Amino acid sequence: MSVLEARAVTKRFGGLTAVKDVDLVVNEGEILGLIGPNGAGKTTFFNCLTGMETPTAGDVTYKGAPLPKRPDLITKAGVARTFQNIRLFNNMTALENVIVGRHTRTKAGVFAAVGRGPRYHREERESEQTARDLLTFVGLGRVGDELAKSLPYGDQRRLEIARALATDPGLLLLDEPTAGMNPNETAAAIDLVKGVQARGIAVVLIEHDMRFVFGLCDRVAVLVQGQKLLEGSPSEVQSDDRVIAAYLGKPTEAETAGDKQ
Amino acid sequence: MDVFFQQLVNAIVLGATYGLVALGYTMVYGIVQLINFAHGEIYMLGGFGALTTYLALPSGTPAGISLPLMLVGGIAVSVTAAVIMERFAYRPLRSAPRLAPLITAIGVSVFLQELVRNFYPHARSARNFPQLVNPDYQIRLGSNVQISAPQLLTVTVALVGMVTLSTFVRRSRTGRAMQATAQDPDTARLMGIDTDRIIVTAFVLGAALAALAGVSSGLQFGQVDFHMGFITGVKAFTAAVLGGIGNISGAVLGGFILGLVEVMATQYAPDPFSGGAWKDAWSFVVLIIVLVFRPTGLLGERVAARA
Amino acid sequence: MTSQTIPEARVRSAPDLGVLLTGAGALLLVGSALLPWAGYAGFPGKMTLSGYPGGARLYVLLLALPALALLRPLPGRAAALRAAANVELAVVALTVYFVAYAGGGFVNVGGGVYPAMIGAILYLVGSRRLPTSEAVAEGVALPDASWRFPVESLVVAGTAGLALWLFVIGLGMPSSSIASGSDLTLGPLSINDVANSGQFLAYVITIAGVALVAGRLGLLKSLTIMTGRHPKLFVAAGFIAAAAFPFTQNGSGESLSIAARIGVFAAAAVGLNIVVGLAGLLDLGYIAFFGVGAYFGALVSGSVTSVTGVHLPFALTIVLGGLVSGIFGLLLGAPTLRLRGDYLAIVTLGFGEIFRITVNNLDGSAGPSLTNGPNGVSNIPDLALGSFNFGANHTLFGIDLSFQSNYYWLELLLLAFVMTSFLRLSESRIGRAWVAIREDELAAAATGINTTRLKLLAFALGATLAGAAGTVNAHVVKVAAPDSFTFIESATLLAAIILGGMGTVPGALLGATVLYLLPEKLRFLHDLRLLVFGIALVLIMRFRPEGLVASKRRAREFHDHETDPAAEAVA
Repeated sequence: MSVLEARAVTKRFGGLTAVKDVDLVVNEGEILGLIGPNGAGKTTFFNCLTGMETPTAGDVTYKGAPLPKRPDLITKAGVARTFQNIRLFNNMTALENVIVGRHTRTKAGVFAAVGRGPRYHREERESEQTARDLLTFVGLGRVGDELAKSLPYGDQRRLEIARALATDPGLLLLDEPTAGMNPNETAAAIDLVKGVQARGIAVVLIEHDMRFVFGLCDRVAVLVQGQKLLEGSPSEVQSDDRVIAAYLGKPTEAETAGDKQ
Repeated sequence: MDVFFQQLVNAIVLGATYGLVALGYTMVYGIVQLINFAHGEIYMLGGFGALTTYLALPSGTPAGISLPLMLVGGIAVSVTAAVIMERFAYRPLRSAPRLAPLITAIGVSVFLQELVRNFYPHARSARNFPQLVNPDYQIRLGSNVQISAPQLLTVTVALVGMVTLSTFVRRSRTGRAMQATAQDPDTARLMGIDTDRIIVTAFVLGAALAALAGVSSGLQFGQVDFHMGFITGVKAFTAAVLGGIGNISGAVLGGFILGLVEVMATQYAPDPFSGGAWKDAWSFVVLIIVLVFRPTGLLGERVAARA
Repeated sequence: MTSQTIPEARVRSAPDLGVLLTGAGALLLVGSALLPWAGYAGFPGKMTLSGYPGGARLYVLLLALPALALLRPLPGRAAALRAAANVELAVVALTVYFVAYAGGGFVNVGGGVYPAMIGAILYLVGSRRLPTSEAVAEGVALPDASWRFPVESLVVAGTAGLALWLFVIGLGMPSSSIASGSDLTLGPLSINDVANSGQFLAYVITIAGVALVAGRLGLLKSLTIMTGRHPKLFVAAGFIAAAAFPFTQNGSGESLSIAARIGVFAAAAVGLNIVVGLAGLLDLGYIAFFGVGAYFGALVSGSVTSVTGVHLPFALTIVLGGLVSGIFGLLLGAPTLRLRGDYLAIVTLGFGEIFRITVNNLDGSAGPSLTNGPNGVSNIPDLALGSFNFGANHTLFGIDLSFQSNYYWLELLLLAFVMTSFLRLSESRIGRAWVAIREDELAAAATGINTTRLKLLAFALGATLAGAAGTVNAHVVKVAAPDSFTFIESATLLAAIILGGMGTVPGALLGATVLYLLPEKLRFLHDLRLLVFGIALVLIMRFRPEGLVASKRRAREFHDHETDPAAEAVA
């Protein structure tokens, strides 16, 4: 059963084709790695899935329904993401950052906020409880009152994941979740992603740390120069000559087949 | 039809002034993404600088000598003010949140107006500006269409200023460095461009052009006023947005279009919304309409994405 | 923080030069406060009397008191004394200048001036030489004991009362011999005007100085912790104190009418704070929304100068005025809010100008007849709720109350409503979404926030509150005219929240008070008012962009570092 199906997604910037005809299926509950050399279009592909960029062509469905266009509606539909260069709400506390993630799952409007009836208080309590639980889940239970900007780098990455989880996603897109982490933090990140999977959330992650990818992912897709080179189990991908060639920069079949990049 | 053509002439003259001032907004915005709110006051200071120069000259100096000197004087005052303003008010805030420099700009604008109002002799109300170019000297363009000498001077000065600027930006080393900085300040710095100097250059060029506008409007209307920069400044910014902010030809085009709209609306808007009382309102209506339908301006904006 | 014991040891072994100089300076200052400062009568504060610290001498005395800290090495002592000495020098210099100016020359100053000047300099020099490696003062949290609640409540309520008391004193200070409120150039100023301005300026600077010293000693942080624990009590105490203000006026209405105008100005500032402080949208035409409300209120007030002839009940007027203004906000915001932020600034500025031009022109000759043009809609009748006439004096609990107290209370209610809305919104789902958008719009969208819709909401809500405030104000000042709604008014409101501290209610209140009261009280500055205003904007942005009252998010930052060593240092 698939969660997300992307068909022939293409993104052109002027003359440059950053993503070309990429098909990708994400199955329920799986961890899918998206790898490829720098500039292969991985982040652009993520941006197309999350409404940050409008794809030039192609369509994406989430649980059978076409994905909306706007980022907030996509998040509401159930696709959450983190960013390659962490984007937290710096001057809010860690807890507040996560509570903001509850936005689409809560209702209180201006009148409820000013009037503060019992329903409002119940909703606030629930949001806060969910947020605290999520902070504990990612291992930040003790720093809820710290400002996001004052957290160490690794904690900021985990906070971003907690914020994304607060939106109750069915699919989580992680853009380089271990970038800048030391080996200990990376090991903790493996456990965290597995924990997310255990909650029944499918994960797609962009990553350059191959040990991390091949140790964690159920399947791996390789993106080279905007096109999907291949897709398969970690062992299949690891042993494929084309992947090695792509990383080392040797001409590949795809290129000799006439790709104008 | 004569009325229409006469108004067309007036529109071009007005548009030339807006265009000159708009260039300063557009250059500075293109490079540092700052709405230099005080740029209108730089225009005003140009007028007062020229007036001061005139008063300092012995009476009876022929116009052929005093006029160029007044232009130089006006430019000197405007440029000095702009450089000081950039150095002490804006530069320290370059990495501050976006609201900070904009609020500073409002402060500088109020300060400069009040400085002139309080400390320039007799500047609390409009001061007479020497009518060195006789406004009664008219050139006939049609049976009932004419352009007065100060008007012609305004258009000429504006065109010379615009062409010079455009040549400078496209041909000179500094000009190309300006374009590079506007594209991507960080990369420009890595390529060895002194971005501080480039930013100052943008302020200086903008101030010089605004001073030209200030002097020619003094000649045209026979007076300068401490708050003449406010409305002109906002309209010039509108012109810059209209043409596409950051875009030099856009600012000129925007200026002429805004001048056209203002003059024609004053003449032809349905009663009772025609006439001078409503002309400023029309300019702002145009601004809002442009931003709604074409927020990047007519010729497209050229602004570095700020990380 | 770590080396706090070292200077303590040094101070004990041999009092150093800094301590001696500071102490000597403080003693001279105390002595000078008991000597006459003026050689002529007429300067406020009985400055010719000796043995009595009146007028500005009281401030001099007050600012010398922190020197008592020399007796014990408190954390933050050196910093506090440096601040006290700076402010002391300013107050002494200012007062001497004004005494001399108003007296016609330096020869006319009294004998107390000389020790004061020497003392202030010694104080300054000495405080600079104090050992600086002392601990930074941290806020103290009281231990969790049975007496904590009553003590804290008393402190919290006392603070609210004190703040109001200081405000009332400032308000009650004589400002000028000429009727206030006139915006004309006043010509040569009387000695009274100068002297009163000097006295008031010294008062304001002293309050700021005492607050600064308290901050350096960690007292403000302690206070923040306490008020943070009893926010409702703090607000209630403040409100009650404010509501009691008319009873102190002996039936006079002058201060009340100023206070009422500050109230409405503050309400508008708090409303603007939603737009700018929370959602981060720069609105340079906010006064126009206020104006929409004011004109609406005026047109349906039943005034003889209103062309509509309609007279709606006031409660309905407020609601409708807010709604009409909110609709303008929607119409303006909907197309522009998806644009880059600084375009909004210029569009709102444009809207402000369109509004002013329009109401100026709708006089029947340049446009349809609606607003009476430059004259505005005037003679707005007094409000009446049932049989209660707002325009009549009343007696309550045997105390005479001028009719201005009715309007003052009305403004107070409005302010309370706006403040409550702001506080509740800022701590709600909506407020968090606004702050998130301000912090990082893209991340906010990725977190599920409809950024366009929420920005529009903030913008329209700000407009609605401004409109409601405008209807009230029209009834207080009895006129709605175009020249009250110029760009400079919008800029002043913006400056109020920036000066006070963006995103905070106390900041908006403080900023509004200072910006309204200073020009009212400083007649000698009258012509230079805007000049000073412009310089102040530039300087604030340069040196203290977070404003006088840093937002709670910053306070929380301090709070996080408040750990045990601090408490020990004080204990």
